[in-house]
Amino acid sequence: MSTESGTFLDQFPAEAKVVRTAFYSSFVALFVGALMGILQVLHRTDVLRIVDSADYYSLLTLHAVLLVLSFSVFFLVGIFTWAVTTSLDRGLQDLRYTWAWYGLMALGTLLAGIAVLGAFIPGLDMSAAVLYTFYAPLQAHPFYYLGLALFIVGTWLAGLDWFRSWWAWKKDNPDERIPLPTFMALTTTLFWILSSAGVAVSVLAFLLPWSLGIIDQVNALLTRTLFWYFGHAVVYFWLMPAYLLWYTMLPKISGGKLFSDPLARVVFVLFLILSTPTGIHHQYLDPGIAEGFKFIAMVNTMFLLLPSLLTAFTVVASMEHGARQRGGSGLFGWLRALPWRDPVFTGMALAGLMFAAAGFSGMINAGMNINYLVHNTWWVVGHFHLTVGTAVALTFMAATYWFLPQLTGKAIWSKSLGLVQVLVWFVGMTFMSNSMHRQGLIGVPRRTAEPQYSGFDYEVAVGSMAELNMQVIIGGTLLFISTLLFLTVVVMTVIGDKVDGLPDNGYADTLSGPEDAPLVLDNLKLWAGIAALLVILAYSLPLAAIITRGGILGPGGSPSPQFVDTLLFVGRVAADTVGGVIA
Amino acid sequence: MSSELEREIGHDEFDPVGTLGLITIYFLILVVLWIFMYFVEFAGGDLTVVGVVV
Ligand code: HEM
Ligand SMILES: [Cu+2]
Repeated sequence: MSTESGTFLDQFPAEAKVVRTAFYSSFVALFVGALMGILQVLHRTDVLRIVDSADYYSLLTLHAVLLVLSFSVFFLVGIFTWAVTTSLDRGLQDLRYTWAWYGLMALGTLLAGIAVLGAFIPGLDMSAAVLYTFYAPLQAHPFYYLGLALFIVGTWLAGLDWFRSWWAWKKDNPDERIPLPTFMALTTTLFWILSSAGVAVSVLAFLLPWSLGIIDQVNALLTRTLFWYFGHAVVYFWLMPAYLLWYTMLPKISGGKLFSDPLARVVFVLFLILSTPTGIHHQYLDPGIAEGFKFIAMVNTMFLLLPSLLTAFTVVASMEHGARQRGGSGLFGWLRALPWRDPVFTGMALAGLMFAAAGFSGMINAGMNINYLVHNTWWVVGHFHLTVGTAVALTFMAATYWFLPQLTGKAIWSKSLGLVQVLVWFVGMTFMSNSMHRQGLIGVPRRTAEPQYSGFDYEVAVGSMAELNMQVIIGGTLLFISTLLFLTVVVMTVIGDKVDGLPDNGYADTLSGPEDAPLVLDNLKLWAGIAALLVILAYSLPLAAIITRGGILGPGGSPSPQFVDTLLFVGRVAADTVGGVIA
Repeated sequence: MSSELEREIGHDEFDPVGTLGLITIYFLILVVLWIFMYFVEFAGGDLTVVGVVV
């Protein structure tokens, strides 16, 4: 596959430096984010409150922004850069350009971080306690919005970098199929640009000018809807690189091959098409959006079950293939033949298991009526600590034990400690997330510094509130310890000496290769077009209704049942169209 | 890695029965939880939303 074998560092030293730097940035964010995480746990449960409860929301904002934007996204641009470079077997087109997008992302993180931390500097009139969703009328310092915008533009330029590599490669290899890892990076880039354009408009056209004082007010529902236009797709932006690792690394580490390259392509195409027109499922409880639009979002969401189940099947089948090649047998006996002592394998497998559990809470969230039961409770926080907080985060940590030697030429300092680390994360998250789900069911709210109310007790059906809180404390502490273990292994590895005899760079072969995949799957223009069309179908009417009713800069709104407005609006559009056609 | 392999299994000899078993179990768990949800949400007393609003 490669002109020159060896580690990624041997093959592409300059690109390895980029990926390494992206990873280190991601780990710094992980450390600060996890520190905020444990502080939140202790604050909410009233074990230790080192900040004023009013400042809790600054910690929470920092936690979320650093973990879901900086930690996840810095890591994933590293993975995609590795994936494209390795699978096309060619360096990036222009490294100055590459460093430029990295620089934008770093600057963006710094600005947003400063805006949040400014709240703790006495005398400085700066804060951004707007939480990760930054709903108006909560307002942040302009640095926060500017930072987010720069960060996102940085990721777009990164996506373009991967496209440039592919375009150049295609010139030299006109008749070849897009290698699978590159295909995954490109399809992800496409829906990421399509979806994050929404949040970019929200920030640049409304929130930033508003926080600079150029405009007086914004239409809160409009900015919120634009946020969620990106807010569901972004979860797939985090998840697709984890999928990439599950599809292209996990089979190899299990000792086998990827079950099916065509299925993998189908899955990524489905995510490209479906990830954006679903965002309204986060707004089931928002007044001002008609039920019908929410229903459409729900149906689109249910379609997403398809690629998720396809993934479960393909990934597990690939592991089974590996286990049987290693001598495993029996209906389930092969599970024992898997390399459970390898932290890379075990971390990713446990991450996948947690993701399966999250599938259930996700189904509850996705149902329009059942969602009312859990909306804005701690259930939701329990859910996404299983998805982004474990399926993605633990996969990334586990993958680090494979990538770090590839990027530094050094051996992992202690693989056994790595194994302990991934296990501790799994156990910690089991406690924390389980309790968060259960607390949510009895109505404990999320985003609350002091969820204790005088004259009111939660009705806990099984167990007690003290027991539930104890689980969160134990879980949160284990998670924090696991993070420290992870960073210890990383630092000790990086300061170690270079060694020889590291495994070669590469990824899994396939049982059924691209030659079995219909050519149309590689037609990225077609899929991007369909994705855009679905977005227009799902969003043009809701957005038009929100703007006509509330004004582009709001505020406004009518107390009438919203579906009446929408019916009238749809009627008017239909009448105009018919009129236009006749005239 | 490849040194640990005991045998090579090609596309046609590989029949992922274990995977089918695992996925079936997962599916059954989902169904059972789904039914359980009915009791948590509805049978436990008032309808959460309707009860509050009306
Ligand atoms: C050390 C491990 C972690 C601990 C102890 C922890 C703890 C917490 C707690 C207690 C909350 C809820 C606060 C509240 O509702 O009042 C929270 C929120 C959150 N966490 Fe974590 N977490 C950890 C890791 C992660 C990871 C790895 C991610 C993602 C990659 C993540 C993403 C989030 C997000 C997005 C929120 C919601 C913020 C908001 O409501 O705006 N956390 N975390
Ligand atoms: Cu969503």
